[in-house]
Amino acid sequence: MAKRPEEKQAVDHGRRLAIAAGAGGLVWTGLIGRFAQLQLAKGRDYQDLAEENRVRLDLAPPERGEIIDRFGKPLASHRQAGRVTLVREQVGDVRATLRQIAKLIDLPPARQERIAREAVRQAPFVETLVARELTYEDFARMKLHAVELPGVAVEMGRTRSYPSGRDFAHMLGYVAKASQRDLVRLISAVVRDRLDPQQRQWLDAQGFDGSLHPAVIERRLPEDSEIRTSWRETRQRLNRLYQHPDMRIGRSGIERVCDSWLTGTPGSRRVVTNAAGRIINELDSSDLSPQSGRDVVISVDSRLQKAAIERFGKESGAAVVLDAETGDILALVSTPAFDPNSFVNGISQADYDELRGNDRSPLYHKAFDGIYPPGSTFKMVVATAALEAGVIDPDERVYCPGHYRFGNRTWHCWKRGGHGAMNMHEAIKQSCDTYFYEVSKRTGVEKIAEVSHRFGFGDSWALGMTGGAEGVVPDDAWKRQALGEPWYEGETLNYGIGQGYLTATPLQLALMTARIATEGRFVEPNLLVVGPAIEGEPHPAPQFEREILQRMKEAMFAVTSEWGGTARRAGELGVAGARMAGKTGTAQVRRISAEERASGVIANEDLERRLRDHALFVGYAPAEDPKYAVSVIVEHGGSGSRAAAPVARDIMAEALRLDSRRAPYVQRMAGRSAGAAPAKGAP
Amino acid sequence: MDVSVQVGTGSAGGLSFARSGLVRRLAQLPWGLVLFIVAIALIGTGMLHSVTHDNAAEADLPLKHLARFAVAFAVMIVLALVPLRYWMRLALPVYVMTVLLLVAVEFFGEMRGGAQRWLAIGPVNVQPSEFMKLALVLVLARYYHTALPKAGGRYLLHVPALALMLLPAALIFKQPDFGTTLALLASGGAIIFVAGLPWRVIALTGLIGATSVPVVYNYVLAEYQRERVDTFVEQIAGQSTDALGDGYQIEQAKIAVGSGGLRGKGYLKGTQSQLDYIPEQHTDFILTVVAEELGFFGASGLLLLWATIIGWGLYIAWRCQQLFGRLAAAGAVAMLGFYVVFNVGMVLGLLPVVGVPMPLVSYGGTAMLTVMAGFGVVLAADIHRKAPSSAHGWF
Repeated sequence: MAKRPEEKQAVDHGRRLAIAAGAGGLVWTGLIGRFAQLQLAKGRDYQDLAEENRVRLDLAPPERGEIIDRFGKPLASHRQAGRVTLVREQVGDVRATLRQIAKLIDLPPARQERIAREAVRQAPFVETLVARELTYEDFARMKLHAVELPGVAVEMGRTRSYPSGRDFAHMLGYVAKASQRDLVRLISAVVRDRLDPQQRQWLDAQGFDGSLHPAVIERRLPEDSEIRTSWRETRQRLNRLYQHPDMRIGRSGIERVCDSWLTGTPGSRRVVTNAAGRIINELDSSDLSPQSGRDVVISVDSRLQKAAIERFGKESGAAVVLDAETGDILALVSTPAFDPNSFVNGISQADYDELRGNDRSPLYHKAFDGIYPPGSTFKMVVATAALEAGVIDPDERVYCPGHYRFGNRTWHCWKRGGHGAMNMHEAIKQSCDTYFYEVSKRTGVEKIAEVSHRFGFGDSWALGMTGGAEGVVPDDAWKRQALGEPWYEGETLNYGIGQGYLTATPLQLALMTARIATEGRFVEPNLLVVGPAIEGEPHPAPQFEREILQRMKEAMFAVTSEWGGTARRAGELGVAGARMAGKTGTAQVRRISAEERASGVIANEDLERRLRDHALFVGYAPAEDPKYAVSVIVEHGGSGSRAAAPVARDIMAEALRLDSRRAPYVQRMAGRSAGAAPAKGAP
Repeated sequence: MDVSVQVGTGSAGGLSFARSGLVRRLAQLPWGLVLFIVAIALIGTGMLHSVTHDNAAEADLPLKHLARFAVAFAVMIVLALVPLRYWMRLALPVYVMTVLLLVAVEFFGEMRGGAQRWLAIGPVNVQPSEFMKLALVLVLARYYHTALPKAGGRYLLHVPALALMLLPAALIFKQPDFGTTLALLASGGAIIFVAGLPWRVIALTGLIGATSVPVVYNYVLAEYQRERVDTFVEQIAGQSTDALGDGYQIEQAKIAVGSGGLRGKGYLKGTQSQLDYIPEQHTDFILTVVAEELGFFGASGLLLLWATIIGWGLYIAWRCQQLFGRLAAAGAVAMLGFYVVFNVGMVLGLLPVVGVPMPLVSYGGTAMLTVMAGFGVVLAADIHRKAPSSAHGWF
């Protein structure tokens, strides 16, 4: 009965076979389960997707509105340029086609390879950009040979262009190809608008941002919800729209904040297509003609802007010119700047790094986002606070020996030998620091802060462009919150000369000047003449005592016009006998040690550029009937009277010469879109 | 016992195999199984018609498919009638020759679609990797048939078997052909498993396999293979970023399958299928047409059909009294199962897109021939299941 080895093995194999069969059975169950999951549990979803696949929105991109200055000069418009695209499905061999094209226009092999790879990654029916900005000759040649290249389209495309180049870079911003981040932002905005407050709150609480792909976000939304349906619909529409080679999205500045106003409405119709994108039939024969975007008119006078930028030359800094009565921004200069045109089709990494690495920060909007210690330009605010508080009589004299002792520390006046006995008028005129140490000590931090707020410091305005710094108006509460320490009285002394924690933007300085010049009028900065309504918090109208501001004006007039004033040469403008009143400021960017004081403060010229003082000037003109207010900051320019005042004088002279407020705004309120929608796409 | 002797004398009688034996053996074929095989091929033909009927250039594909099936069917029947001892004799020479051909491909092969798989012998282009699938099954079965009774259950017994499997697998992987490599590992692995690879070794292999995944990913896989794996992982993780990009095919396939619902959209009425949304739909992705147009009923029906065939195959292996036949049948069935599982898994987005067709349904001649030859082996193992194991030597 001894078993043969073979038989013994056979039993074993049989078990193994049974195990294999069992494993197979499990796998089979899994596969059928997956079928059930896709077809039964999610069948409805996929049916929707299949329907969407088949039914496609055919979109015609709208023409983007222009941004024009107050007299109608286009600052952001567009130009036509030839462009070549291909559709993978229709060309067959992408690489061979690209080689064909390379015989007609310049298309290096490396670029061909990149395009081919991009084409393969995309859906077969989507157009892939081969070349843009063709020269006229290239365009003509391509057009001629296009018939031999099926699936290759040669057409005129629109490119956003900024004719003034750098002059308006920060204000206008720029457009770019929509990124994932942009799409998420756009979709969220559209979807949000359709939701009720409760759902809106829920959506906001999710904190979806550009780090997630819109399709991924969609999957995280509750299934079968209104939000999800809305999201999907919007995502598909916008995705498709922004795939068009002409479509750009506002990335910064006015282009971004006014994006929907400028963009307009795309033309659309629903068509049934096959995967190759061939239209098989039309579902609704709605009109395909798009609605062009509307124009934005801004209050800036481009001539003044240009002149101001030229006046800066190679210096870096900012300047703001306001209509002193209406608050219209006539010039908003931040220099150096970048060329927004280089961003439209994507800037190279090398160029971008160069912009970012530049120590004069060309990407930074200094006039609107830059915060600087206002230095002595702040003295009118301190003086106003002191007079309102009644802590000093304007004629009372404070003796300046060149320094001021408080506690066991010494504060220095910029003039080492001292100014002697100073009243308020003289102290502003000669910018005596000692006088203001004493006055600010008497006034106290809270009062100074309160008056600062009334002049517009520590505040920002929604002007229709991105950015807008608030700066810091420090007080006890602020310091406790920001630094966890109480306010020390010694710090009030620095406050008195516009140093310390206090910071302000050039726009705020111009606004302060306008409010002084108009003796307390409620002036607010304003940029958009025609454009979308910008949501922003309303600012209460500040109340001032007129006599006090008149006194400030007299002192500011003395600065530029009386013997001993710190900017005596800046008063004469040479335009119809008008004079400018103003105030200089020099903002220290480094700390001067006691030893350095003892051995003599190092002159600005001997310092490294980045350690030199900022030079500031604020002013208004004509002195007797103020129309314009100006603020100028020259970064690391040295003293305000030598570096900033002459620049301010020349800008102001140009402002008076152009006198832009006299002429009415351009009459283009409704934009070109109303009557003149292009008939493109219409049958 | 006496039955086997009887059959043994019958088949040993050489020429007596010719006439009366032929009819008898044909009658012995498991015709039910054959019927199922034909049914699947017919389903495939019908589905191909659905994909191609509106395109004049491709409209004759279903007929070609059917014609190829007819040829392959004949091959299957002929192979089924070959007694197992002939199979055994052929196993090693065929294997050695195929390995040589694979080496030849490495040096003289022709590049097609980025892979070196084809070898021109005179006017004929052959793809040795396709032969190898069968050759490996035969040689492993042959090896165990002789070695197992002698060696009993010793571990070292399996080392030569592993070598026999890994050598061609490595050669084919280098071509590169990921799908075929996996097919070899699946069918070879199945044979080694059934032959009795100890559980301890299986567990150890699994452990090593799992830990070597990063190594394989980083150093063994080619760039395009890595991309496929990446796409796949993104799909699984639900992070597929671009439905228009790399994940397009899988995404479209899932839409087609899911939108079929319970009953499907009706034959010739699938929007995804009819509007060409799915690339390679007449080959690797044909299952999407079944699922979209015939729904869950159709898709799971096809799967059940396959389950029946494979189960039947395993049953044949089980009842085969001869070790060679048993292992060869098991290997052939495993290969078949691998094809079905990988194809379905791929289409359903559960496995990476490695380019494995659905046997008998996808359009493509070589794969069909291989599969049908595999069935030939299974059928042969059934008809000759009672044949005594005559060969104890190597030839």
